[in-house]
Amino acid sequence: MKFDPRTKLIMVFSFSTLAVFVIDIYLLLVVLLISIIVSNYFKEDWDFLKRAKKYITLLMGIVLIQSIFSPAGEILLSINKITILTTGGLAKGIRVILRMLIIIISATIMKGSSPREIIQALIQWKVPYEIAFMVSLSIRFIPILGEEAKDAFTAIQLRGIEIDKLSLGKRFKIYSYMFMPVLSGVIHRAKELSTSLEARAFRAYPDRTSYIKLELSKKDYLIMLASLLFTVLIFGIYIIMG
Amino acid sequence: MSALIKAEGLSFSYSEQNHNILDNLNLEVDEGEILAILGLSGSGKSTLCYCLSGIIPHVYSGELSGEVKINGRLVKEMDMPLIATKLGIVFQNPETQLFFPMVESELAFGPENLCINRDEIKRRIDLTLDLLNLEDKRNENTGHLSGGQKQLIALASVLTLRPNILIFDEVMAQIDKKGKNAIKDIILELKKEGKTVIMVSHNLDNIDVADRIMALKNGRLMRFEGSL
Repeated sequence: MKFDPRTKLIMVFSFSTLAVFVIDIYLLLVVLLISIIVSNYFKEDWDFLKRAKKYITLLMGIVLIQSIFSPAGEILLSINKITILTTGGLAKGIRVILRMLIIIISATIMKGSSPREIIQALIQWKVPYEIAFMVSLSIRFIPILGEEAKDAFTAIQLRGIEIDKLSLGKRFKIYSYMFMPVLSGVIHRAKELSTSLEARAFRAYPDRTSYIKLELSKKDYLIMLASLLFTVLIFGIYIIMG
Repeated sequence: MSALIKAEGLSFSYSEQNHNILDNLNLEVDEGEILAILGLSGSGKSTLCYCLSGIIPHVYSGELSGEVKINGRLVKEMDMPLIATKLGIVFQNPETQLFFPMVESELAFGPENLCINRDEIKRRIDLTLDLLNLEDKRNENTGHLSGGQKQLIALASVLTLRPNILIFDEVMAQIDKKGKNAIKDIILELKKEGKTVIMVSHNLDNIDVADRIMALKNGRLMRFEGSL
């Protein structure tokens, strides 16, 4: 079943808003569960979770840092009188991770819509075309910029530098050498891009026509309403719980 | 027959350079002709394309003198939207010419900018995909296409603006032999449709479909006599 990108955007906004404002861990778990069910309903692949495995250490690090710098509650682990893990710190860390997961998983709901459809959705919400297009273009060019950085990194390695064997300080120095070629590559690409845009009559007139037109159906309105009700319900429970 | 594109006494230097990359250059291109311009790297081929297509002076600035005319009208006095309907330019790197992942959206982008209505945009997309034999690619993701196919989509997206003149700036530099042959076939097809084509390259093998070859050397165009 195909949904209007605006419906999906409303769902993403609802989940993300709840993730940011709700503090209670159990409520965050409910929001996470619902976002997983919704994302699964849209049949989004979960391959990104396999790729995210390498970030587990980072997530654990977040929990630990939260715990060390904002200790609260009972001490769970301490070394030489230095508090490492506390119940309050652990709860904060878990909250951060849950929030990140909700935002990432709810964003996957948008994967089924093409960037052109998302731009059109924003335009029909009266967002200026230039801004909507700019957002889409920046997403389109993230992988290309990644390639640019990878090329510079490979070029450094081909000069006989084994990055893995260097100390952290030296590694940062090597990364700083990458900055200039990557930056100049990015500027060059931006220049090529703007030239192509001009040659295709971009911003020729204050208005432009749209080849595609989005129309909301009954099911879209229903889903939007359900999303808003869900948001209000969670907020209501959160406020009642104090 | 009067020239469709005419450059007279064209000289140009970029702001950061102190020499003319184009130096008192003259050029005439007739309607329906395929003209190839051959030149070494850094000889000013792309700069010439920019001058002919109005990118200089409308987008890039520098010291420009002389004049370029399309259909007898001065390019510097025409605005970019008007130029885009008369002259289309395809660049070397297809990656920076494709803005959307979907082929159909890419082809619609130019006409949408020109406020063409939806039915006409659809008609143009259908005709262009048919001409380039790309009908099966209509709903494809451009990221999944080969370099040659991406370049064809870049060309298709220019063709939906319906220009009579096409400039190909080193379009075959990054693609394999199969892709090159596909583009050459399209160029011959465009000639049959009455389009005027200017091909720019550093490689003689890429321009064997041209009616006339000129060499760009020391900022000037001269008859190509076998070597640069």
